[in-house]
Amino acid sequence: MNKKEKFFSVMKKVGTGAQKFSKNYLNYTVILAVMLVFTIFALATPMKDSTALLFQKITVAVILAVSLNFVVGFLGELSLGHAGFMAVGAFLGGKLSTILVNALGANSTNIFILILSLVLGAVCAAVCGVVVGFAALRLRGDYLAIVTLAFGEIVRVVFINSSYDNAINKINATKLPEFIKNFFAKILELLDFGGALGLQSPSFPKKKMYILVIIGFLLILFTLFVIQNILKSKTGRAITAIRDNEIAAKAMGIDVTKHKLMVFVISAAFAGMAGVLFSYANKPVSASSFGYNYSIEILIMVVLGGMGSINGSIISASLITILNEFLSKKLTGDNAIYKDLFYAVILILVIIYNNAPALKNLREKLNLKNLVGKLFNKIFKRKPNPSSVASDAARWDVVPTKIEMNEVLSTDVVIDYTGENSADIDERGGSDNGKEN
Amino acid sequence: MKLKRVFAIVMTIVLCFGMVAVLASCGNNEVNYAENNTKIKVGVSGPLTGGAAMYGIAVKNSAQLAIDEINAKGGVNGVMLELVAADDKHDATLVSTTYTTLYEGGCQLFLGTVTTKPGIQFKDYATEDGIFYLTPSASGDDIPYADGGFQMCFTDSNQGTASAKLFNENYAGKKIGIFYKADDDYSVGIKNNFVKNLDASFGKIEEASFTGDTSLFDSQISMLKDCDVIFMPIYYTPASQFMKQGANIVKADAVYFGCDGFDGIDAVDGFAIDTIPQEVSYLSHFDSTATEGPAADYIKAYKEAYPNEPLNQFGAAAYDCVYAMVAALEKSGEEITATMSAQDMSEILLAQFKGGFVFNGVTGKCEGENKSTITWNADGTVDKEAVKYVVKEAGANG
Amino acid sequence: MDLLTIIINGLSIGGIYAMIALGYTMVYGIAKMLNFAHGDIIMVGAYTVVLLFTTSPTVGIISALVLCVLVGIIVEKAAYRPLRGASPLAVLITAIGVSKLLQSAAQIFIGSEPKGLTLNLGEIRLGSLHISVLTLLTILISVAVMAGLTLFVKYTKMGRAMVAVSEDRGAAQLMGINVNSVITVTFIIGSALAALAGVFLLFKSQSVDSTFGAMPGIKAFAAAVIGGIGSIPGAMVGGVVLGFIEAIFAATPLRDYVDAIEFAILIIVLLVKPTGILGKKRREKV
Repeated sequence: MNKKEKFFSVMKKVGTGAQKFSKNYLNYTVILAVMLVFTIFALATPMKDSTALLFQKITVAVILAVSLNFVVGFLGELSLGHAGFMAVGAFLGGKLSTILVNALGANSTNIFILILSLVLGAVCAAVCGVVVGFAALRLRGDYLAIVTLAFGEIVRVVFINSSYDNAINKINATKLPEFIKNFFAKILELLDFGGALGLQSPSFPKKKMYILVIIGFLLILFTLFVIQNILKSKTGRAITAIRDNEIAAKAMGIDVTKHKLMVFVISAAFAGMAGVLFSYANKPVSASSFGYNYSIEILIMVVLGGMGSINGSIISASLITILNEFLSKKLTGDNAIYKDLFYAVILILVIIYNNAPALKNLREKLNLKNLVGKLFNKIFKRKPNPSSVASDAARWDVVPTKIEMNEVLSTDVVIDYTGENSADIDERGGSDNGKEN
Repeated sequence: MKLKRVFAIVMTIVLCFGMVAVLASCGNNEVNYAENNTKIKVGVSGPLTGGAAMYGIAVKNSAQLAIDEINAKGGVNGVMLELVAADDKHDATLVSTTYTTLYEGGCQLFLGTVTTKPGIQFKDYATEDGIFYLTPSASGDDIPYADGGFQMCFTDSNQGTASAKLFNENYAGKKIGIFYKADDDYSVGIKNNFVKNLDASFGKIEEASFTGDTSLFDSQISMLKDCDVIFMPIYYTPASQFMKQGANIVKADAVYFGCDGFDGIDAVDGFAIDTIPQEVSYLSHFDSTATEGPAADYIKAYKEAYPNEPLNQFGAAAYDCVYAMVAALEKSGEEITATMSAQDMSEILLAQFKGGFVFNGVTGKCEGENKSTITWNADGTVDKEAVKYVVKEAGANG
Repeated sequence: MDLLTIIINGLSIGGIYAMIALGYTMVYGIAKMLNFAHGDIIMVGAYTVVLLFTTSPTVGIISALVLCVLVGIIVEKAAYRPLRGASPLAVLITAIGVSKLLQSAAQIFIGSEPKGLTLNLGEIRLGSLHISVLTLLTILISVAVMAGLTLFVKYTKMGRAMVAVSEDRGAAQLMGINVNSVITVTFIIGSALAALAGVFLLFKSQSVDSTFGAMPGIKAFAAAVIGGIGSIPGAMVGGVVLGFIEAIFAATPLRDYVDAIEFAILIIVLLVKPTGILGKKRREKV
């Protein structure tokens, strides 16, 4: 082996090593590094409060975007109620921390209470995830999107009306016996989430906000660990198989019920955790923050980052949060609305560019990978090696990351999901204007 | 695949450098952010866009008006003032941005927030930094506090109590109805205190409510159609919709009675108030239709400076706030400089406001040409006289 | 509140929902896409009427119809048509984007302050009962539109083509139907219905802002689903059912939860009988 060949073989080894590393550990490393840099700066030089607050927002946004991407990008179902899961976590976790801080006389920065709240918030949101997940078993596409939207609205309405004063007045106005009224009063005290004004749960002071940011970074790492490991496993391949063709996946023996429920539960649990983080940084925790518009904001992060790309979600969530912060300072008065207009236009263009069947050729032509590859070949005057044929076979170590159009097979098979009583419905709804089927 | 990764690595490296750059620009916590000021900066956080923008814009303009007037007269002991307004869109989650923008931008005098929900977050931050604020219009019961949070407007509970008192005195024996917005803390806060303080002799009170952006009030109108007096602790847009939709159904001699949210109802776009037969009145600390006295002078000056912008009691209160803070600074006799830290300035103001400071302003009850007398309680709430204003007498004229 | 009042209130609110739901169900049934921007086209119509009302109400209504149809065509051509054949997820997200686009454009052009008008069409009194002329008009026109649409779909060539496209787009194309033009016509009809609904919703609420159509739009979609999506009489039934729910709960202590109750009913209907009250069962084709 001559020197040159030796050099290439070493380089190749380094290359595959780097590739393996970047594939498996890159985002962990980067986030860890960012976290370390942040911690050093926070401790060594007193940083501006605005910096810590901005990072806090970024951590929440990243967790939300990654967990929503799990449902939208990998399971292929649109969820318009992600903010609803977050609200459940924020209110129930916030309520627990309020009760504990008051009962124990603890400091609002007590990490132990924070962890308990995170667990409770995640569990409660996960329970809601089960409920929505059950809907996902029977419904798909637009219908499921509407169910998630309805879920988000229900959560918002319930929490916005959860004021002790209001409810107790209504109960006192009824003719129930006294002991029942007292019983309700006790329950209502527990269920008081501050009503329209919102829950004033314990929060970190600005000067200690960096602690919450570090916890946020750790939670991002935890989120990535769970979701990426699932995606790399057999379960992950089952999930993407369901996305690409549910019926084919079922035919291959994949338990659709289990996987769909799992995805919704996990995604909801992480959204709940993000909610608890939110409740620790904001006062009051107001239900009106978690409306439909907030769900859409998270969806925009996912879409712009690329559906099915975890790293894309992380980057776009960070950049959009920073951009929002920047624009809300720069755009004043009526100009502020241009931001919404801008996002709406970008959202439409990105979706059309990425999905329009007519633009398929253009997409391939402008594909960054191909462009760079061509450039690379040109510079090094490499010629394609005719002996090496690119394998079209599925690579099991790679999770498919693009949503393809459902391939329609033209066999007329009747699928009965849940037995006789199930309503068989076309995935996008039946339509018959007075015509017999 | 490989090149995608390379791209990802490059992106993350760029991001890391960006972060380091951001972090490197971080300043010191203990610094006096105002040390480079050439003027005293007055900060306010309010909704300058979105559904509540009319309040924030009125506050911003009025504060600017007061500052221009003060500067024209030579400022505070020769030091000029400057207004910094940040947009919180009536969203508590944006206060982290607006507050730090103001505080780290070197503001020394704070008007707090325009609305209550963001005000709670603002209070939290201000308490931590030892900042004094005098809010023109954040009326929530949680906003004022003894060590630095003062109000120019009445708290919601005070408004509810004052309205109930007025009802007890003037509307005894009448059938009372309430129309409120269930998901609005302002509305619910006033309503709960109103109900609590109303005489038991009124008997059953008809309650109707709405939530969100609902604008179809058929059911609510049917519930309240037989009431003699309808109490409406809501803002004027939904109130005007209710009045228009119920013009023929609600008793023609009924009275619509509102709180300070009614101010400006006669100027709602497309609302011909004369076409409805019922009486419209409200209890407030300012009359934006005044034609004489100090209130009218303010209105005239505002309309000259901002002819096409919203005018309401929020603005009048902000105008008073700026004058009150300046008066307190001047009265203290301390040396005021443009580079004083916000904390030092707050200390002076707090000592004044807690020490029986009396201010004469345009809000509250003005007798003829005399300005009203305004004092503050130790807990931060304001003490001045509210006035009942009749926007429109009974009977349709249109 | 007595029963009769509840019925009248229910019809009054339900009539409006029915009118919006009719447009929704047309577009959903034929184009097979959830047009989230439908509510915002209503807003466009309402704004047009408000701005031209002082000039002449008739001119306002006609220009609202024209403008809404134009907006509908542009949206369909620019945003939805490129995605024909793409995954339903992509179409849905685009529709959300269009909805946000229209809302922010309205805010930029007209401002965030609500615009209003004062209108009193009077009322009919039957003893102690008051029925406003507007309510009667709303219901009458909803029924007329429903009947007209049913006849149109059943007896015209274009209507039959619409049914064909909704049944099987590929087969319809093979039979010589121009799917694109059928869908454009659907959007024209849907937008015109949205304009009409916008006019009535505006006359009822007498005030309009940029999110004017969002909530009624979503609720009307719920109505369309409850009645059976794709079914024209179903939209009517669903709208009235939703109107009754609102009217009934308004008088109870649960009144503040009425939105949540409506959405809960929507979820239950979807889970138990996804075809709605009047929808028909369909088989899933693989």
